[in-house]
Amino acid sequence: MARMKFLCDADRCIECNACVTACKNEHDVPWGINRRRVVTLNDGKPGERSVSMACMHCTDAPCAAVCPTSCFYNTADGVVLHSKDLCIGCGYCFYACPFGAPQYPRVGNFGTRGKMDKCTYCSGGPEADLTTAEYVKYGSNRLAEGKLPLCAELCSTKALLAGDGEIIARIYKERVLTRGYGSGAWGWKTAYRETVAL
Amino acid sequence: MTRKTDDKALDRRGFFKAVGGATTVAAAAVASPLAAPEAAAQASDDERRARYRETDHVKAFYRTNGYETLKK
Repeated sequence: MARMKFLCDADRCIECNACVTACKNEHDVPWGINRRRVVTLNDGKPGERSVSMACMHCTDAPCAAVCPTSCFYNTADGVVLHSKDLCIGCGYCFYACPFGAPQYPRVGNFGTRGKMDKCTYCSGGPEADLTTAEYVKYGSNRLAEGKLPLCAELCSTKALLAGDGEIIARIYKERVLTRGYGSGAWGWKTAYRETVAL
Repeated sequence: MTRKTDDKALDRRGFFKAVGGATTVAAAAVASPLAAPEAAAQASDDERRARYRETDHVKAFYRTNGYETLKK
């Protein structure tokens, strides 16, 4: 069974934010919410790197582990989805997620959060596929249409890869072998050893 | 300033702590989603089923992303 994954090739990302814009437009994402963001490190300095970030659809998702209403569920595609009917807007998932994926609309006064919103890997939610109810709550369901997330499909520099984890890993591996050097993934030398080959 | 340590103040604080603890225990016993996670609604098999299909559209995405490097 294919597991859906995102992979951002940081050597290709030029911080154009087309993925962010495409996502907001495709799903009619409310004001104040970004399901995807581009994070830039060392902005304006030599060695600047940008990475497009969204929900990473973790296998053992911390958001699901802390949810008091168990509104999260994993699909057979390895996508982490949630039910807005069950969400109570407590914000636990926001604090648990290491990627800042869960977002809340600023709809009310006195700090009320509303229903959590996050990247659905363009695969809707618990409602029936390709219905208006599903679109209103979760946005479009491109996976059901036989397509991939629009952020990746629109990426002009082919930096953002999406799809079957094994296939996009092979594509990325071939790129690395052709370049002759790795992405220089941050923290590897700290996590492992100074001499690790990247 | 010195800190008040008389028995009366401690009793007052202890009273509220005891009341708070008893209330928490009672509330947890009545209904708590944390105490009974299995009672929460579970996603159906239909909701969990795979949507991904390797269509021509998806194959074109893989091809164009790997056209420089992947073996033909």
